[in-house]
Amino acid sequence: MIVSLVIYGLINSAILALTAIGFSVTYGISRIANFAHGALYVIGGFTAWILLQRAGLPYALAAPLAIAATAALGVVLYRYVLLRVRGLPLAEVIVTFALGITALEFMRFLGFFGTNFGLAPFTARRLEILGVPVDAQRIMVVAAGLLLGAGLWWFSHRTRMGLSLRAIAQDEEAAMTVGIDADRAATLSVALGAGLAGVAAVLLVPLSFLGAESGGNVLITAIAVCIVGGLGSTMGVIVASLLIGYVQIVSVTVLGPHFQMIVALLAILLTLMIRPSGLFGQQHALEERL
Amino acid sequence: MLTMRFGRLSLLLVGASLACGTSREADHAIVIGAPLSTQYLYGWDAQRGMQLAIEQINARGGVQVGDSSRPFRLEVLDTRDLEPGVPLSEALLVVEKLLLEKRVDVLLGGPTRSEAALAAMDIVARHRTVSILTTGALSPAYNRRIAEDYDRYRYLFRITSDAVTLAGEAVDLFEAVRRRFGFDRAYLMVQDVAHARAIGEIVATRLRERGWQLLGNEVYPTGTGDYSTGLLKARASGAQLLFVWMDHPEIAVLVKQWHDLEIPVLPIAGISSAVEQPGAWEATGGAVEFWVTSPANAGNAPSEATPLTMPFYDAYRARWGVEPEGYGTASSYTAVYVLKDAIERAGTLEPDALVRALEATDLQSVYGRIRFDPSDHQVRPSYDPAEGAVSTWFQWQAGERVVVWPPTISRGNVRIPPWLRPERVSQ
Repeated sequence: MIVSLVIYGLINSAILALTAIGFSVTYGISRIANFAHGALYVIGGFTAWILLQRAGLPYALAAPLAIAATAALGVVLYRYVLLRVRGLPLAEVIVTFALGITALEFMRFLGFFGTNFGLAPFTARRLEILGVPVDAQRIMVVAAGLLLGAGLWWFSHRTRMGLSLRAIAQDEEAAMTVGIDADRAATLSVALGAGLAGVAAVLLVPLSFLGAESGGNVLITAIAVCIVGGLGSTMGVIVASLLIGYVQIVSVTVLGPHFQMIVALLAILLTLMIRPSGLFGQQHALEERL
Repeated sequence: MLTMRFGRLSLLLVGASLACGTSREADHAIVIGAPLSTQYLYGWDAQRGMQLAIEQINARGGVQVGDSSRPFRLEVLDTRDLEPGVPLSEALLVVEKLLLEKRVDVLLGGPTRSEAALAAMDIVARHRTVSILTTGALSPAYNRRIAEDYDRYRYLFRITSDAVTLAGEAVDLFEAVRRRFGFDRAYLMVQDVAHARAIGEIVATRLRERGWQLLGNEVYPTGTGDYSTGLLKARASGAQLLFVWMDHPEIAVLVKQWHDLEIPVLPIAGISSAVEQPGAWEATGGAVEFWVTSPANAGNAPSEATPLTMPFYDAYRARWGVEPEGYGTASSYTAVYVLKDAIERAGTLEPDALVRALEATDLQSVYGRIRFDPSDHQVRPSYDPAEGAVSTWFQWQAGERVVVWPPTISRGNVRIPPWLRPERVSQ
């Protein structure tokens, strides 16, 4: 039982982290809370589904194309919509939320709902770890989560573009004085977040199914993880995912299935009551209100 | 996707063309109001079933009411009652709207969720409008309330089996599987909604009475997206049969997780949209193989239950480009014919006359002989299509939906997944 809790807690944490990392990266760099994140996840998933099931492309081609398409949609989202309300946080939230709902309802209108849309796992292999069965797709999700974390760290600490994005995140005005283009950085941040939503969809849809209705759950999960971890903090996403992921698995095992969602929502509530900026958040002004 | 898209588009066009008929036709038509959760399988399949029957009946001259022949017209409104988080008041509002604004003559279909159907009983009764439930709403409380207060609820009928009947059939199927494979250890997983909880309790009680070991009973809230913990508990408990009753789409996740983890249990699911649908095989990449499920009545999966079954099956496929999909299809189609029969015998749409005619119904249908119990207006179930309404349980075998229960209409035997070891195998 304990081995099972450890393994499935880790898998659940990786799923949460993958779901939330795109939202966090966008907010961390450009301070844009992209409430269309759930819709981007669904669009990424359906793009992969169309390329795989209808165009007949192999996974190796369909997955990167779907991710690239979702990232491109992020560019369009910023250049043609968000640029006009940049710097108005409430307007950014309303615009992205409205766009997300519109996109999801349009997909629903096109017939993308129900349970007929799923992606096959990359591999059907399965193994046992200390007597606990685990399928290869879940192991890949954990591996992808680790690789993504390492890749993001390398990108942000070792590449010129990554360093410029970090500069913008730390102090936008100071970064602009040394020639960093804030709009370009913000465009990249939204594209990166959207691309990561696409990565999450390609990796996680094979574990479940895809429907327009999935978008809301993805958004709620991402927000829960980011609030607990601290908005915009990649380390916060990792720690919060582990925390929520393990508490969910333990509470579902011991107390019952109803606690899966209760834990996530309770975590938001407790965080806002005790430490509003989250575990690794930088919005210390929030703490001063307490 | 495209099929669904064009299917929905054609539904809209058909509805529009019907609505745009001459005013004489519009005044003349018998209006059927259908409160359905149209974004879900049990809504759209019911709508398609009714539409098909209406088109067939209207093409043959409509319904003979006294001296005149009148066409049927369908008014569908979305109750959204199968969507998680949508308050039941939405469904009640839709029922009121159909009765007051659309001024329908009869209600067919839902509301689909038991809680909503039970809440709508008083509204329908107050308006003295005949209503036949054709999809969802399995709670036995529905017909019990009719029996307890017949005068008030006499306008309400149900043409599908209730939870008690379906639970009894599930237990009979369990017993058949025990005789064949020697299994006697079960694990239950049900959705946290009224009908599923009721069925879970009935099945658990009856299995214990028959000597089964019940090793767990998990209740999942609507919308749950992870079942790995429950499946691992079932595996650790040594269960051999997994009884599942969930109508939310997330059961697709349970199917995949069961397959991916090769949990050594034979899954038998009741009304479960994601398993019933013809598209389940493709959607799960074949993970649904070996799942047994019930789309309620015969006709929702291919069989020769009655001489009308396969003609209906073929007509539905020709009309909508997909096989009859799930729970509400055959029953909604049949209800229109039952209504036509009752109206023609009554010779009027007057509600009390119609109630008396429906109570006297004795009609051979797609899923057997249709008769209502005059005391509680519940359709009489039977394993024999010559005696009553027959349910159907099928198993996904090599991409096909093969009917395995009841034996009177079965086309094959239950098989078990290769990672489950039988205690014995007998024919």
